[in-house]
Amino acid sequence: MNRTTRTIIKIFLIAAMTVACAAAAYYLGSNVTGHALATASDNMNYSRWQEKFFALSRATALINGLCALLWFLLARFFFTVDEATGMGKRIIWFALLMASLAISLGVPHFYAPLLGIKLNGIIFVLFAAIFTGLGYWLLTIFTTPLAFKYTPLASQLFRRRI
Amino acid sequence: MSYYFVSIGGTGAKVMESLTHLCIAGLLPDNERLYIAAIDPDVGNGNLERTSTALNNFAVFQSLAVGNDTPLFKNKISIVRPFPWNPTGHDKTLDDLIEFYHHSRSPIGNLYEVLYTKKERDTTLNEGFRGHPSIGAAVLAKKFEDGSKLTAQIEKVISEGDAVKIFLAGSVFGGTGAAGLPTIARLLRNNLVDYADRILIGGVLILPYFSFTPIDKLDELFARSENFLPNTKAALKYYSEKENLFDATYFVGDTVMTPVGEFSVGSANQRNEAHIVELYAALAAADFYSRPLHAPKIFKYICHHERDKFSWNDFPASAERFVQFARFIFAYVHLIKPVLLDLMSGSAKAYKYPWFVDFFDGVDITAPDVVNFTFYAEAFAAWLKQIETLNGREVFLIDSAMFEANPAKIVDKKLFATLDGSKSNLTLHEIFYRLTEPFKADSSVKGFGKFLRRLYDVCAV
Repeated sequence: MNRTTRTIIKIFLIAAMTVACAAAAYYLGSNVTGHALATASDNMNYSRWQEKFFALSRATALINGLCALLWFLLARFFFTVDEATGMGKRIIWFALLMASLAISLGVPHFYAPLLGIKLNGIIFVLFAAIFTGLGYWLLTIFTTPLAFKYTPLASQLFRRRI
Repeated sequence: MSYYFVSIGGTGAKVMESLTHLCIAGLLPDNERLYIAAIDPDVGNGNLERTSTALNNFAVFQSLAVGNDTPLFKNKISIVRPFPWNPTGHDKTLDDLIEFYHHSRSPIGNLYEVLYTKKERDTTLNEGFRGHPSIGAAVLAKKFEDGSKLTAQIEKVISEGDAVKIFLAGSVFGGTGAAGLPTIARLLRNNLVDYADRILIGGVLILPYFSFTPIDKLDELFARSENFLPNTKAALKYYSEKENLFDATYFVGDTVMTPVGEFSVGSANQRNEAHIVELYAALAAADFYSRPLHAPKIFKYICHHERDKFSWNDFPASAERFVQFARFIFAYVHLIKPVLLDLMSGSAKAYKYPWFVDFFDGVDITAPDVVNFTFYAEAFAAWLKQIETLNGREVFLIDSAMFEANPAKIVDKKLFATLDGSKSNLTLHEIFYRLTEPFKADSSVKGFGKFLRRLYDVCAV
């Protein structure tokens, strides 16, 4: 597989994972605690809550997906590896991980009141696990360009080859 | 088939240095073993020491498992001991070596006294024959049979059914080389006369290409560069008039006499910089080894296209392979060596270097083969830098502005992609990136050799 093909596949994978994370967050959130939250919200039934919750999941997934995409683009096109020092860039990967976590928690925290829905701790844990855990951490493990492939934490467990 | 290379004297040692680099870079034909012998009474001379270091380094890492389908390290080297063979021993004069005291007052003794001056007879020969081939010829003819194991070694190889190509290198304008080239060639021819159909003997006769100003020691016997041209004239007359003992004779010289640094009679101070003439002499050896065993005798010469300039147009071998090897060495010293040092000291994290995680599992980076390869890479860079920054000549092979030697490092990273003067997309970044891409090799390629093989392969355009 040549480098261009690999790049296209990885961008596609990031997009697909973003959609999958949105779907997973929506599906799990709706089924695990959606009924209770819909009842607790003012002027809300379950289907209306689901509609709003879908908008929330989609927005969070989209912004979080940008973190994974940004890391990929930086590592693929902007970081130059022509010196023995300064390689790895884990600090940048970690900063984006923190940004992803802030998005996973911050978007529901600020956006849910605007949508008029209530959330509980389960939703926040679910968003952190799905968007930051799967949508950034796990995704970057498999999509980070080869020159930085072991930069994401625990990446060697998955991508190591002899 | 086996190849033999016999370096004679200081210039021969410098040709041997170039040949060692060409051999490691895979520029010798086929996969034959190269046996290297050196003859030099000045065993401590700096040029020989530098070459010995490169050779001994290669002896350690040549067994790295890089695979058989690559030019890299394809010709293994064996060193013929004693290395170097010192025909004079320690603190001996010509009188001692000829055992003049047994012959004094005899007719042969009287003839000897007529042929050699008192100064020639009484000077200790620890620093060589001091530009006097007449001394060297007498000593080599007397001592070669007993002292050098070269004939026995070649006989052993031939008796196993092998054919050998023997190449001699030395100067015709100094002492040891001028004396040794015809003497050793004749002795080998005579000693191996029973195997005449299985040996090919070639030689490079190096004509003057450097000059120096000797310090004012009128009472001492040493080479003088003003004698180089008369010596050369006499030597060439000898080769034109006498039977030529070589199946292939190469003449390499220069019209510009490159001034060498400080004059030295010999010993460790005789550490002259590498010169393109020596590289050409080594390329002559490579050309000789590619000749068929029963080819007609030849005299070869080549010219460069422009008077004061050397470029790839003048390079009579695979420029592509040489450039790939140079790129490989510089990528190693720039991207790999510092990382290995940092990892050894614990100041670097392995995850930053995917090639390290992928290739160095189970490799001890303090092992002799890794350490010796690193030393060798330094030696190659130093040698190349000297050739590229030749005094009085413009050499446009590998861009010398790109790198520094001692320690070897790249100083202008942008020039790496164009290090041979032609555009390529092979930046250091690209090399690093390619190193991390999937690599399939057969099971014989392993360990540090597998990594070097990968690095070498990714340095191809």
